[in-house]
Amino acid sequence: MKDLEGWKKVLTDQDRAKKYREYITGWEKKIGSLLEWKLPEPGKYRDDGSPLSAVPFAVKDNIAVEGFKLTCGSKILEYVKAPYTATGVKNLQDSGAWVMGKTNLDEFGMGSSTDNSALQKTNNPYDTSRVAGGSSGGSAAAVAAGIVPFALGTDTGGSVRQPAGFCGIYGLKPTYGVVSRYGLTAYASSLEVCGVCARTVDTTRSVFHAMRGLDEMDQTTIDFETVSSGVKTVGVLKVEDGSLSAEVAASYETSIARLKKLGYEVREISIPAMDYVVPAYYTIATAEASANLARFNGMRYGLSPIFAESPEDLMRYSRNMGFGEEVKTRILLGTFVLRSGFQDQYYVRAQKIRTLIRQELDEIFAECDVIMLPLFPTAPFHHGQSELTSFQQKQADVYTCLANMTGSPGLAVPSSLEKGLPVGVQFMAPPCGEERLFSVAEELEKVFPAPRPAGYSEEWRS
Amino acid sequence: MGDVLVNDKYETFVGLEIHIHLLTESKMFCGCKANYGDEPNTNVCPVCLGYPGVLPTVNERAMEMGYVVARALNCRLSRKTYFERKNYFYPDMPKNYQISQFQEPVGVEGYMDFEFGDEIKRIRIHDVHLEEDAGKMIHAGDMSLQDFNRAGYPLLEIVTEPDLKSGEETEAFLRAFRRTVRYLGVCDGNMDEGSMKCDANISINLPGAGLGTKVELKNMNSPRFVRRGLQYEAQRQASVLDEGGKLIQETRLWNENRDITESMRTKEMANDYRYFPEPDMPPFCPDDAFMAAVEEAQVELPLTRKHKLMRKYSLSSEQAEFIHDEKGNADYFERVLALGAEAQSVYTWLSSDVQKELNLLNMTLTRSPLSAERFAELLRLMEEGQISGKIAKQVLIDVFEENEDPSRIVEKKGLSQISDPAAIARIIDKVLGENEQVVQAVREGEQKQKGFLVGQIMKETGGRAAPALVQKILSEKLS
Ligand SMILES: [Zn+2]
Repeated sequence: MKDLEGWKKVLTDQDRAKKYREYITGWEKKIGSLLEWKLPEPGKYRDDGSPLSAVPFAVKDNIAVEGFKLTCGSKILEYVKAPYTATGVKNLQDSGAWVMGKTNLDEFGMGSSTDNSALQKTNNPYDTSRVAGGSSGGSAAAVAAGIVPFALGTDTGGSVRQPAGFCGIYGLKPTYGVVSRYGLTAYASSLEVCGVCARTVDTTRSVFHAMRGLDEMDQTTIDFETVSSGVKTVGVLKVEDGSLSAEVAASYETSIARLKKLGYEVREISIPAMDYVVPAYYTIATAEASANLARFNGMRYGLSPIFAESPEDLMRYSRNMGFGEEVKTRILLGTFVLRSGFQDQYYVRAQKIRTLIRQELDEIFAECDVIMLPLFPTAPFHHGQSELTSFQQKQADVYTCLANMTGSPGLAVPSSLEKGLPVGVQFMAPPCGEERLFSVAEELEKVFPAPRPAGYSEEWRS
Repeated sequence: MGDVLVNDKYETFVGLEIHIHLLTESKMFCGCKANYGDEPNTNVCPVCLGYPGVLPTVNERAMEMGYVVARALNCRLSRKTYFERKNYFYPDMPKNYQISQFQEPVGVEGYMDFEFGDEIKRIRIHDVHLEEDAGKMIHAGDMSLQDFNRAGYPLLEIVTEPDLKSGEETEAFLRAFRRTVRYLGVCDGNMDEGSMKCDANISINLPGAGLGTKVELKNMNSPRFVRRGLQYEAQRQASVLDEGGKLIQETRLWNENRDITESMRTKEMANDYRYFPEPDMPPFCPDDAFMAAVEEAQVELPLTRKHKLMRKYSLSSEQAEFIHDEKGNADYFERVLALGAEAQSVYTWLSSDVQKELNLLNMTLTRSPLSAERFAELLRLMEEGQISGKIAKQVLIDVFEENEDPSRIVEKKGLSQISDPAAIARIIDKVLGENEQVVQAVREGEQKQKGFLVGQIMKETGGRAAPALVQKILSEKLS
């Protein structure tokens, strides 16, 4: 718990709290990771000695925390206050941790750059002209900059892991159902889960175990059954030439070499169903999104016009003003694939592909303890998505959305700095195999710990 | 009215979609009180208001009630039922989708028997499924307000096959259905208060030609309006066909003020509900204990009960109809009989004096001060000659007013019959002594004056003297 020890006085010690405020303000001018933040009044907070007690953390702004807004990065919810607290957050608060702020995101979690936030721009701490990734870009950037030791994100198709990779930190997408979704603003209910961005493997593990657990408010939560954590064999996905940028390909090779050097048995694997992952993923995600976002109609809360002729008009105005282009596109796509008469062609078929992918991965996990695969085809790209079109960005989700389709846990691990930019790599394990991921990541961490961007400092709190 | 006319030429097909509010403590998917009559928006929480991030959790009691009804309607029960999202916009539906069931409802392919005239009819049940209710819009001037107390209220929908043949038959079926859900204790069946609602679909066609063009009929708030709406609609459709016109598939509303149906929307404007399985709740797989509880909750259904009452206690059909209408009354009836009372006498009292008293006090029998034990005691006191029928009626009123046992009232008020000849003779002597002129007149042959003496004797005893003894002793004394 060395990483967290150093954080324990930033809320309780007046001098350090003042420096903390300055440190946050300094970074926020550069990266804009937080939509809202506040520190407790000096002396109001105590450390009871438990590992997470008096440790500050940030929460992605699509997760409900009472006392904060719940904007989801959208105009339609810009002034909405959360009337309750998400179970995962509540569990951490019960362990003594303190929510210091809410982080920026792509609107409703739809995107992989955080540029789709309707409220604020978030920059990569390593190069402010570049994105922090997304959709949990604010959480990843805040952790990378050393504003918090960890932050919560949500992962629907890679939204925790990809920005963690872009920002050079660890990003865990837990097994589906192990962490409660109560309080997570739904985008694609059957795919998503609350995850963790953190600077060390140890912190990632502590936070994961503190927030997980059966929840009577979420009937899809499952009991966590630890599978053996020993890792000997690592399946490494064979990547076609040209599908990764030169930097990412080089970094991938670096990680493979490291695994071999650490004594793991490395086996090359292929996943034939991979070709269908992205279309199937977007079919399911948008279908669920079209229903999940239907509740935002300007009637009970959220943006709405002062006057409307009819309830239908009120809803139309609210949505037209309140939703961004990417959100509207996905709602329309989802409505399209669920039309009666077309379900077999789209939604049902996507579910069949999902089953097929699960089967292929089951076969692989019968031979390999964990698998390694890339996170994203490129290093952090520039704002404005000049390098990738919206369609290419979706195609680029192929490596991360695999875990969401199967429900398996996935962990982003820092792999290297390429031309000064962080590049990460991803590990996946069978369901409830989180400990295997931590085990490999810890070995790699000894060789290559999370890098630090210029301006990162721990001195103010030591 | 219309039925006869239509039936001459066309065959009518009616199917129903009946919604019942289940009598659960809490709502379908959250812990809020299921009480929609309260102050607006007091029984609400983030879940039933559809706040971002909330998830539904299924109310097991509602699930059980759903299975209990499906079982009572002879359905094939699902061993793995699940919810789906039914997507459509409705201003007072918080999530803009309704959590309902579609592919795997709690029960399918059942039937219900009911009496129509002298016949027993069988109506096939397509399916029984659970869902949630929406809130309520209140229009105030140029504003619209919303009350979400009812949002998330557990609803059970029962869908029949188009087996009903007329408005009258449909009304009879609905009444029998209402009685059934009340017997099962899952719904109070009040159509005027909205805890039971019924939409109908109706088509007509030449005999043997199968179903015609279906028209959905809504907004009928009582079994009577269902009958009248269907009668009107059958006749309207017949007129259209008679004039060589074509019917269109549409939804029409019953206008109870004008006694007509009016078009609401045509098929082209119908919603595409885009059903898909609810990802927020796992399928529900009832275990053996659950199924045993469903079995345990089954009761003798109204029709069976009625026939039993007729057979076992020799009641007429009308008498049994009256007794079996409420399960509580039928149970009460049988309990009084078990305590030794006689069926015809119990029926007579229940349908006249007891009913009168209940109406007067606006009470139900089972919640009145007249428990089965007290009622049986009252009848026994009368049977044993301790009180007369006339006194018994007075005691009945006292039981209602004073909430005491009949024997206690009789004792307290000294109402028991005087059947000791010596005591009666003493009273007669007293009356005769006070009315010497009348006695003289009777002895001289004016027999009608004897009635006056009997009246005086009864007055003297507060009506308690055994009438036969009074007659006998008086005659002896006067002869
Ligand atoms: Zn509620």
